[in-house]
Amino acid sequence: MNKILAGLLFGLIFGAIDGATSWFYPETRGLVGGIMVGSSFKGMLVGVLAGWFAQKVQSTRWGIVVGSVLGLLFAYGVAAMEATKEKSHYLEIMLPGFLVGAIVGFLTQRVGTPRVAERREA
Amino acid sequence: MDLSDSVLEHLRSAVALPDLSGTRYELESEIGRGGLGVVYRAHDRELDRPAALKVLDSALAGEAQLIAGLEHPAIVPIYETGTLPDGRAFYAMKLVTGARLDHYLAGTPSLAERLRILRRVAEALAFAHSRGIIHRDLKPQNVMVGEFGEVYLMDWGVEAVVGTPAFCAPERPLDRRSDIYALGATLEFALPASAPPALRAIASKAKSIDPAARYPDVPALLADLERFQTGLAVEAWREPLSYRLRRFGSRNAVLLWLLAAYAGIKFLLFFLRNL
Amino acid sequence: MALYWKPVYRFIRLKFRKDNEDAKDLTQGFFTSALERDFFARFDPAKASFRTYLRMAVERFAANQNAASNRQKRGGDIRFSPVEDYAATAESPEQIFEREWQRQLFELALDDLRAHCAASGKQLQLGIFEAYDLAVNEDERPSYLSLAARHGIPETAVTNHLAWARRTLRGLVTERLRGVTSGEQELRKELRRVWI
Repeated sequence: MNKILAGLLFGLIFGAIDGATSWFYPETRGLVGGIMVGSSFKGMLVGVLAGWFAQKVQSTRWGIVVGSVLGLLFAYGVAAMEATKEKSHYLEIMLPGFLVGAIVGFLTQRVGTPRVAERREA
Repeated sequence: MDLSDSVLEHLRSAVALPDLSGTRYELESEIGRGGLGVVYRAHDRELDRPAALKVLDSALAGEAQLIAGLEHPAIVPIYETGTLPDGRAFYAMKLVTGARLDHYLAGTPSLAERLRILRRVAEALAFAHSRGIIHRDLKPQNVMVGEFGEVYLMDWGVEAVVGTPAFCAPERPLDRRSDIYALGATLEFALPASAPPALRAIASKAKSIDPAARYPDVPALLADLERFQTGLAVEAWREPLSYRLRRFGSRNAVLLWLLAAYAGIKFLLFFLRNL
Repeated sequence: MALYWKPVYRFIRLKFRKDNEDAKDLTQGFFTSALERDFFARFDPAKASFRTYLRMAVERFAANQNAASNRQKRGGDIRFSPVEDYAATAESPEQIFEREWQRQLFELALDDLRAHCAASGKQLQLGIFEAYDLAVNEDERPSYLSLAARHGIPETAVTNHLAWARRTLRGLVTERLRGVTSGEQELRKELRRVWI
C-alpha cells in the first residue's frame, strides 16, 4: 500500500483512540461519539498529509517533525473551536494531538511503499 | 671427507633457497612457512614492485592455476605460476602486509569489526564455492587483515597438512560443507567472551559434527549473520521470550517511546486536571 | 646401509661415551643383530619416521649391551674418553642423531656430485662450488668477484655455476633420501627437516 493510504489508516486509528480517551473526562463523556468522529477525521487529515510528505522525503526524523507540527496545528484548530466555552482545553487537546501526529508521522515513514514517480525515463 | 657443523648448516640453507635465475624475481627474504612450502618476499624486476613468492616442495601447481582464475577483493591475486630451475613449483602473488587474524584479534577489536572481517571471509568463500573451488584449510592463520582493513583469505586448496586440525571438519573427503565447518570454527574463535548467544549459536550450527545439520551453503550463514546484525531473529537459535521482547523493544524503540510519551502525557494531564 | 652406519656409530660414541673401538664394535653388533631380527622389515611408517625408529632401536640395543657388560664388570667402570670435535652440548640424543644422519646424507650426496662432475666434465662448476660453499669459515669464503677473477670468467657465470651445483646437489640429496623413505609423503616430511 502506498504511504498516503497508510497515513490515512494510521491517522484514523490513532485519531479514534485519542478521541476515545475523552471518555475518562466526566465533562466530555457524553460526547465521546462525536469527539471520536472529529478526532478520527483530524487524524486522517494529518495522516494523509504526513503520508504525502513521506513519499517525497525519506527521513524518519523529519517525518516525526512534520507529523508533530501537523498534529499540533490541527489540534490547535479544534481547541480554538471549543474555546468559546468557559473552560479551555488547549493543553489537553494539543499535547496529545502533537504526539499522535508524531506517531503517525513516524509510521508513514516506516510503512508503505512510496509510489513510483510517474515521470520516469522509459 | 668430514663435513663440519658449520659447513653442513651452510649447505642446508644454501640448497634450500629457491634459485630464481630465469625468473624476473629477486629473492629478498623469507616471510614464513606454510603447509606446503615457504613464502619469500621478492622483488619483481620487470614491474618494479614487491611480490610474495610461494615455493612448493611438491608440484601442486594445478591448484594455483585454478585460484589464479578467481578475481575477488578478498582473494590474493596471483601474478604468475611457474617452475624453478631446480624443479620446484612456485607462484608469485601480491604481497599482503598486515596481520594474521589470530594476531589481529589479540588487539581486541570491536564485535562489529570482527563480524565485518568474518563476513568478508564468508563472501570470498561463497564466491569460490560458486566457481567450484573449495578452500579445505580455512582457519584464522590463513586470514590476513591489512593496514586499512582489507581482508584476504589465503592458502587455498591445500588440505590441512600441518598444524591446526581443530578447524578442520571430521569428514573425509572434504567438500563445501567442510569449509562451512571451518568458517564456523573461525567465527567461534573470533568471538569475544561477551558475544551474544545468537552469534554463538550461528557458529555452533556451522560447526555441527553432522554435515547435514550445518548451513546448506555459505550464503545461508551470511543471511543469518545479517539477520543478527539487523536485530531480527536468527535461524540458528531459538531464543527465550525475554530475549525476543528485548529485541523487539530495541528494534521498535522510537515507536514505543512515542506511545509511552502519549500515554504519559495523557495520564499527566488527567491527574493535573483533577488536582 | 651406508647412510646409517656412520650416524649410528657417532651416536653411540657421543651418547654412551665409548671410545673408537668400542663404538665400532657396538655399531657392528647392532647391525648384525638388526639383520638377524628382521629389523628393517618390521618398520611401520605410520608410527614414526625411520630415523626415529632406528635411533630408538640403537638406544635399546646399547642399553642392553651396557647392562650386560656391567653385570660382568661388577662395580661398572664405564670408560670415558674425550671425544674430539664435540664439546658437552645441551643437545638431546635425538638432535645429535638427526644431525649425524643429515651429515652423512650430505656427505654421500657430495660424493655423488663429485662423481657426476667427473663423469660430465663439469670440473669448473665443482671447483667454484667447493671453494664457495664448502669453505670452512665465513672469512675464508671467497667473494664472487675473486672467484670470477681466479677462473677468468664473468661474475654472472660464477652465480650460474653455483646455482647449478646447488640445484644438482639438492636433487642428489633428494634421491638419497628417497632411497631410505617409504613413500612420497614421508620423503616430503623428511626433506622439510633437512632444509633450513
